[in-house]
Amino acid sequence: MRVSRLNVNGDTFEVAAPEHWTLLEVLRYRMGLIGSKQGCDKGDCGACTVLMDGKPVLSCLTLAALAEGVEVTTIEGLLPAQISAGGAGTDPVQEAFHRCGALQCGFCQPGMILSARALLNENPTPSRQEIRNALAGNLCRCTGYTQIVQAIELAIAEATGGEPENPSWSPGENPWKISHTSPEDLEKAEPT
Amino acid sequence: MAARDNHGTDAPWKEGFQVVGRAHPKIDGLAKATGQAIYTDDIQLPGMLHVKMLRSPHPHARIIEIDVHQALELEGVHAVLTGADLPKKYGVIPWTPDENALATEKVRFTGDEVCAIAAIDEDTANAALKLLEVKYEQLHAFLDPFDALERSEPQIHDEIRGKEVRGNVSKNVKLEFGDVEAGLEAADAVVDDNYFFHGTTHTAIEPHCAVAQYSPHGVLTVWSSTQITHYVQRALAHVLEIPEAKIRVIQPCLGGAFGGKSDPFALEFVVAKLAMITGRPVKCLWTREEVFYAHRGRHPMHLHYRTGARKDGRLTAVDAKILIDGGSYSSFGLITTYYSGQLLTGPYDFPAYRFDSTRVFTNKPPCGPKRGHGSVQPRFAFEVQLDQIAEKLGIDPIELRRKNFQGEHTETVNGQRITSNGFLRCLDEVERASSWKERRVKLPRGRGLGVAGSMYISGTNYAVYPNAMPQAGVQLQLDRSGLVTVFTGGNDIGQGSNSVARIIVAEELGLDPEDVRVVAADTDLCPVDLGAYSSRVTFMVGNALIDACRKVRKQIVQAVAEDWGVPTARVWMGLGEVFDLEDRERTLSTREAFHLTEERFDTLGATGSYNTPELGGDYRGGTIGASPAYSFTAHVVEVDVDEETGRITVENCWIAHDCGRALNPMLVAGQMEGSAYMGIAEALLESHDVNRFGLHAGPSLLDYRIPTSVDTPELHALIVESLDPEGPYGAKEAGEGPLHPSVPAISNAVFDACGIRLKQLPFTPGAVLTALRAKTGEPAPVRA
Amino acid sequence: MLRLPKFQVAAPDSVAEAVALLEQHGEDALVIAGGTDLVPNMKHELFTPELVVSLANIRKLRGIKQAEEGGLTIGAMSTLSDVAASEQVRDGAPALAQAASLVAGPQLRQMGTLGGNVMLDTRCQWYNQTYFWRDALGFCLKKDGTLCHVVAGGNKCVAAASNDTAPALMTLAATLVFEGTGGQREIPIHELFLADGIYNKKVRGEILTAVRIPALAPGHRGAYGKLRERGSIDFPLFGVAARLDVAADETVAYASLAAVALQARPVLLKRSAESLLGLRPGTRDFERGVDEAAELAYRQCRPLDNVPGDSDWRHEMVPVYVRRTLLAALEGSGPVHHV
Ligand SMILES: Cc1cc2nc3c(=O)[nH]c(=O)nc-3n(C[C@H](O)[C@H](O)[C@H](O)COP(=O)(O)OP(=O)(O)OC[C@H]3O[C@@H](n4cnc5c(N)ncnc54)[C@H](O)[C@@H]3O)c2cc1C
Ligand code: SF4
Ligand code: FES
Ligand code: FES
Repeated sequence: MRVSRLNVNGDTFEVAAPEHWTLLEVLRYRMGLIGSKQGCDKGDCGACTVLMDGKPVLSCLTLAALAEGVEVTTIEGLLPAQISAGGAGTDPVQEAFHRCGALQCGFCQPGMILSARALLNENPTPSRQEIRNALAGNLCRCTGYTQIVQAIELAIAEATGGEPENPSWSPGENPWKISHTSPEDLEKAEPT
Repeated sequence: MAARDNHGTDAPWKEGFQVVGRAHPKIDGLAKATGQAIYTDDIQLPGMLHVKMLRSPHPHARIIEIDVHQALELEGVHAVLTGADLPKKYGVIPWTPDENALATEKVRFTGDEVCAIAAIDEDTANAALKLLEVKYEQLHAFLDPFDALERSEPQIHDEIRGKEVRGNVSKNVKLEFGDVEAGLEAADAVVDDNYFFHGTTHTAIEPHCAVAQYSPHGVLTVWSSTQITHYVQRALAHVLEIPEAKIRVIQPCLGGAFGGKSDPFALEFVVAKLAMITGRPVKCLWTREEVFYAHRGRHPMHLHYRTGARKDGRLTAVDAKILIDGGSYSSFGLITTYYSGQLLTGPYDFPAYRFDSTRVFTNKPPCGPKRGHGSVQPRFAFEVQLDQIAEKLGIDPIELRRKNFQGEHTETVNGQRITSNGFLRCLDEVERASSWKERRVKLPRGRGLGVAGSMYISGTNYAVYPNAMPQAGVQLQLDRSGLVTVFTGGNDIGQGSNSVARIIVAEELGLDPEDVRVVAADTDLCPVDLGAYSSRVTFMVGNALIDACRKVRKQIVQAVAEDWGVPTARVWMGLGEVFDLEDRERTLSTREAFHLTEERFDTLGATGSYNTPELGGDYRGGTIGASPAYSFTAHVVEVDVDEETGRITVENCWIAHDCGRALNPMLVAGQMEGSAYMGIAEALLESHDVNRFGLHAGPSLLDYRIPTSVDTPELHALIVESLDPEGPYGAKEAGEGPLHPSVPAISNAVFDACGIRLKQLPFTPGAVLTALRAKTGEPAPVRA
Repeated sequence: MLRLPKFQVAAPDSVAEAVALLEQHGEDALVIAGGTDLVPNMKHELFTPELVVSLANIRKLRGIKQAEEGGLTIGAMSTLSDVAASEQVRDGAPALAQAASLVAGPQLRQMGTLGGNVMLDTRCQWYNQTYFWRDALGFCLKKDGTLCHVVAGGNKCVAAASNDTAPALMTLAATLVFEGTGGQREIPIHELFLADGIYNKKVRGEILTAVRIPALAPGHRGAYGKLRERGSIDFPLFGVAARLDVAADETVAYASLAAVALQARPVLLKRSAESLLGLRPGTRDFERGVDEAAELAYRQCRPLDNVPGDSDWRHEMVPVYVRRTLLAALEGSGPVHHV
């Protein structure tokens, strides 16, 4: 058992855990910060991504005992940080993911959102390729990444006052062009 | 109203749709985005024990002896289970119960569960696993389905449900409709070819997990990452031999499923039994490796097709023979075997069709239903074959598909009823968006466009266990606060079914969507829904919700009309208010209207349900594959082939999908993109293999390579609506259909790019180079 | 979860303390840097040390500096993302910056260090698996067993060196500074590696403190090419670093090629590189020289079934990647990678 002083989401905690536990285990099962997910437990999927001093790292490969002296940010830390910085509600990245439908099962998303947050902190106006590159360690099985990329582009556009390449997703609007079947369609079909 | 009533495709209120048809963020989106959503492994209960499982190191062996003594003696170990503790066999299909939670006499694949240990923590359980001693007698392992077909000894299963198994054949289905031989004879061109679809797996990012608690009154609660709460409850009752009424199954937030969580799994029985034995809460979280063993993924299929066509492109007959590699257990295999033939009969019309599908057992992780269950593989073969016909006849591949379109409101050759059908519009859309006509001929060598189409079910009228009760039930509670709570057994597996429920109720009762909450997938609280499979939830739960809403709506309108002294036709509900249509000044908040109604009638609430109409062909198996509606899809894929490396890059994928009506286009687009992504991944990267030792070739997310953001092309969702007469407001499915065409469309695009036909999956760069060489006659490089 | 075996953790502040701990505990202690290789390996029970000695608190192991005598000194604990992003490295060791930029995925580059990459354990598809899996297969020579699944009947482990930066450092003629209880020593990188997959390094129990890269020769051009299946995360299926020093007379004065993901050690493709010497880029002779270099590499490199995937295809890709990487070096582009 080892008592580690961990700085997580702005607070410092003394946490006792077996010495061979990873940061992910301590966050989830000792501190109750279950927002960090586990999809493989060996560095292959990115679900456990947290920020250390602002950089995305994998908590499943980080020993908790070695996570002292750095600032750890988990997904639970974004909302309070946003509020204490005087912002209204959720972090704009979280909000954009929500608005763009980027969250399907949501399991990859805490990690994904933290990777996106870290990217935008470093580079507020990344290109689409830079966005894709920054997310390339976070596997998502649901979305095909399209709405995730759109969400980040929306967050960028809103922060910079630009226009997202995709129409913006205000609730109640429908930016998709939907086509309808029509009687003419059926006339084209040869009689069977 | 009754379970089979149709509600029409119109908006419930005269002013048109208020909520439906627009983008609405998901009901649980912010909870997920902020990390607050609770998944199964997020549940921690006081005094909880942790389970680890011992698995078979052999692909096929008889268990001679299990010695658990040493393990039991280890400090911190509370209980050890073996097959003898859970002897009852189960299976998701009641006709084929061939699984035991823990192996009883035999193990049938490397990774099959043998023992389970509950201890104070996972480390202790792991340490105890190493103290277990199991003696096996190894048996011949069937790794090749042809071997399993030819050799009947040793049998992987001797008998299932008292019926002898014929050799290692899990299921055989032979059906013929029309005169196939005559059709082929009448054809001007016949293409006769073989195809292979490899195994792939779901790879939801959340590994399977289950938690159980047993109360002093004998009530068992199981939280599980399942997509079939109701079936899990039934299976638990059957295996544990306790009444269903004593079992509560809850599906917490689910981290993806894709069909991979639609069987009852060993861990659910094991945690339940251990909770009962120890009196303590018990959790089992499978490692990623164990999830690969649980599998239930795409069946590898060896497919042989003969298709005939006349000069004008019209198909005359299709003849299919399919060998299906089922892995070690039945799972949904009975259905898979039917689906492999039954679901091919649209969107094209052909007068004669025959299929002969055989599923065999092999000593590999069991296959089951993966997104597009049973029909992605034949669709691949057939759509490539259609391109071969187009090539032979010199017809544009899109044109060929148009010519054979089956039409709306028709019946397929195998007797399935087709209602709405937007396939032609799908073809138009992908043709237009990809600039097919202008670009296809002009693309440089190495670049190509390919098309494919498909059809998929939107729910099935085959309930997994035969019964005449509704397939979907819901309940509404209208609170005095103005809040409406929906109770539905439907499983939200990330596809957004709870969000769909919110939208429908908000539309029906004129509410702000925020005023609708959804409680789902808890067998104590929610009316039965059969689960999230066969793309049935939106269609069936959606209809059940409309049914329930209309009951309360009638009461509300009547109460308000009486209060205002106006005819009911003048009362209109929308966006949180109730209006007088002729006197817009007169309004009530929904909350006030609820009060009025409660005063006038009683506590407010309603149930609603849905059942499919009688469907299907009049022959054995004719109801399998019968759906109240079918969705249709067309893809055009643009590829770039590097002829030096053999690597195929998908540059663009245009996905046009007829979803009936897009209740929430944002979710529909998300399903379409996610489906296409998954299909492309199967075609190019993924392969669920067992190696020559009978061992999973790489049970990790490093070796089973699902695409990252830089491996995924630009996906363009083109939504098509056909307004199905029986779907909720005309909606059909969107979660599975759009996967199908991506695989054959890539093959067809590669042909366009460089003239090679890829008929064996996956399309590895090595296979592409081999095919290119075969075409030019260039010899393979000699390995010095 | 996939549990770690039990161990103690030490995080000394100095190299001296660290090497003392290593000496004191001998085989029972292992160094951890970023942990991105060691932690999964421990989860697979490939290593079960009693003590894990972290280098994270040793300040002097960090940082990228311009050396007085020219060239770069890169602290072993510098992360791969810092190495990839550093202007100094991009200018002073382009192939290294490129190789570092293609290691694993973004988070792993943020954690993984250059030292850890140089010291990476060899990899094999029959070895980098869980205890259960290896047990079911039958343990192999490298860990717990007596046979090899790659070379039937083989008695020598041929697990593959899979560190992307190694070939880049070899073409750059980098040297490695090690510190042990006996003091410091500096050895050229190509002398580090042995043809033994079980442990492919000559040095044991010492700490790699820095990587030194000599000042670039005039006209240095370097690039790295990496073959892998996905555009991220995956280890190399084949990796090749290329260097061409183009002299003032515009001919190739020096050439070097090195490759990984073949056998237990990264290999220098000497003859292949020599075929470019004296040639002038842009000429037909040079083109022929490149083809010859590719062909010689094809003959020298024999991918084995140590790395998952189709080894015939990997073999075919050797000349393709050698050629493309040479041309990228010449053009100053690269890395050569499919996405
Ligand atoms: C999913 C995944 C994908 C990966 N893909 C790649 C890839 O594509 N290419 C690649 O090259 N690597 C890859 N890696 C491996 C690894 O991330 C990198 O090689 C990384 O550079 C290792 O550095 P580290 O600091 O994390 O090493 P550690 O894990 O800390 O150490 C690795 C080994 O080196 C020893 N060691 C570390 N530092 C020192 C030192 N200063 N002195 C002496 N010994 C030392 C350790 O004892 C250990 O044996 C991947 C890893 C994962 C999990
Ligand atoms: S090459 Fe692979 S299988 Fe052979 S001994 Fe080495 S690690 Fe084991
Ligand atoms: S859980 Fe950490 S990378 Fe998968
Ligand atoms: S949203 Fe399900 S894995 Fe990404």
